[in-house]
Amino acid sequence: MPLLEVRGLVKRFLGVTAVDQVDLAVEPGELVSLIGPNGSGKTTLFNCVTGYLAADGGRVLFRGHDLTSAPPHRVARLGVARTFQQVSVFPRLSALENLLVFLQQHQEEQLLARLLRTPRVRRLEAAAVDRARRLLDLVGLGAKADAAAGSLSYGQRKLLAFAGALMPDPDLLLLDEPAAAVNPTMINQMKDHILALHREGKTVLLVEHNMDVVMDISQRIVVLDHGQKIAEGPPAAIRRDPRVIEAYFGR
Amino acid sequence: MRRAGWLVLGAVVVTVPWLVATAIPRQQRYVLHVLIFTAIFAALALSYDLVVGHVGSLSLAHPAFFGIGAYAAAILATRAGWPFLASVLAAVLAAALVAALVGVPLFRLAEHAFAVGTLGLALVASVVANNWVEVTRGPLCITGIPKPRLGALAITTLPAFYWLALTALVAVALLYRGLTTFRLGRAFHAVRDNEPLAGAAGIDPLKYRLLAFTLAGAIAGGIGALYAHYLSVMCPEEMTVSLTVNLLVIVFLGGVGSLRGVLVGAVLFTALPEVLRLTPTWRLVIYGGLLLLVVIRSPGGLESLLSRARSPR
Repeated sequence: MPLLEVRGLVKRFLGVTAVDQVDLAVEPGELVSLIGPNGSGKTTLFNCVTGYLAADGGRVLFRGHDLTSAPPHRVARLGVARTFQQVSVFPRLSALENLLVFLQQHQEEQLLARLLRTPRVRRLEAAAVDRARRLLDLVGLGAKADAAAGSLSYGQRKLLAFAGALMPDPDLLLLDEPAAAVNPTMINQMKDHILALHREGKTVLLVEHNMDVVMDISQRIVVLDHGQKIAEGPPAAIRRDPRVIEAYFGR
Repeated sequence: MRRAGWLVLGAVVVTVPWLVATAIPRQQRYVLHVLIFTAIFAALALSYDLVVGHVGSLSLAHPAFFGIGAYAAAILATRAGWPFLASVLAAVLAAALVAALVGVPLFRLAEHAFAVGTLGLALVASVVANNWVEVTRGPLCITGIPKPRLGALAITTLPAFYWLALTALVAVALLYRGLTTFRLGRAFHAVRDNEPLAGAAGIDPLKYRLLAFTLAGAIAGGIGALYAHYLSVMCPEEMTVSLTVNLLVIVFLGGVGSLRGVLVGAVLFTALPEVLRLTPTWRLVIYGGLLLLVVIRSPGGLESLLSRARSPR
């Protein structure tokens, strides 16, 4: 059974069909990229899968759970993490707290236990702080743990957002342009991080414009154009596919 | 050193009735009255800040919850003869219930519409207080609300009421701290700072907004009950929009989202105008000017000035 399955997904905006009958399946442990020219519906598809947009047709299944009309927080708690194209952090929280937010909602829901800070909650918190510090070190932000996230540079915020998505140890990671608008060193860094996740057995679905990154790391590539899936296959085949070349360069 | 400072401050605050009695015996009643008002407004402002400062929703409905609590307690105590604690509890529950019920549709509104919607609630509550004469006695006010009684302990003197108000303020401050730090506070702040990202972190923004709004309403209701029992009269004028203006001034000039800031704001803008004997008209003019100045020069209020003074960079 695929981990994520999208069946006949449709999303329209004021008469424009942004996603048109798209089918997509991601198997556990796969690293799949979603590519296509600007406006081809990649981010819209992400937003439909993660509950930010309500689909006009079709279904989204995650481990057999129907996510089609679930709100973002429910999707997240089922084990689907995502990042945003625009760097997205909690600017007034510290870098460390930014990461803690991503784990705590998965751990317990008793408001009173939280207010009273029961021993169990304190233990969970201590473990979360440990994990957050390890992830900050991993993305090279260990020294910035107590800095307000809003004071970090663009690239640092991007790394922080990435680490946040990893905090709850998600089963499926949806990354929306992790390599966009960052310097070449960081692109390589990001690439290494994603490959490391893949080696650990994480399932990753990637939206990315940087073709070097996509061709380099993806196992399989799905190409969208004008909201429709026009090709799907391993990088080598996609590179030569006449429909893909046409979509990108015109005839 | 800092700890000693807090202990001295605490000791002064607790022993104020005696200090005032020795230092300025002829002014004791007046000074204590001002201090009781300060404690009540500080607690009310803290509850208001839960919504405005911590989940970042500009509610203008706070007088409604304050008034619902005050009227619930006043009516139950005068007509049904309920004891003090029971009427306060009923006030808390009534205000919380109304907040939870109106919160669900109100939070579906976008920011500005939410503010206007809550203003509407405050106006409706005020109109009801004025016109539902059978229950609230309208402009004639509910009079003869008994002084608080805790078991065998009757709170009849000003010092006793001062300590009661102080206890209430400390309780609200502790609750405020518990709610706005650690995991709960982080979840509130996540919703305030970036709602879409909070969703991706597994936080249900509506749930946390409603929680803050309902708890703030509940506290405001309890403080309203305390207020009614203190004054022994409850009139519709006590819950008009000018109360919102006072709260906005306290919270925004003191330091939005900060316990210390709100407390400083409450002391400055409840006690000071009394001490300076400002006429209401001048008070509004000065408040307006100060609000403009703070919003332009120091959006974090006095609190950010204090922290900046402490850690110069």
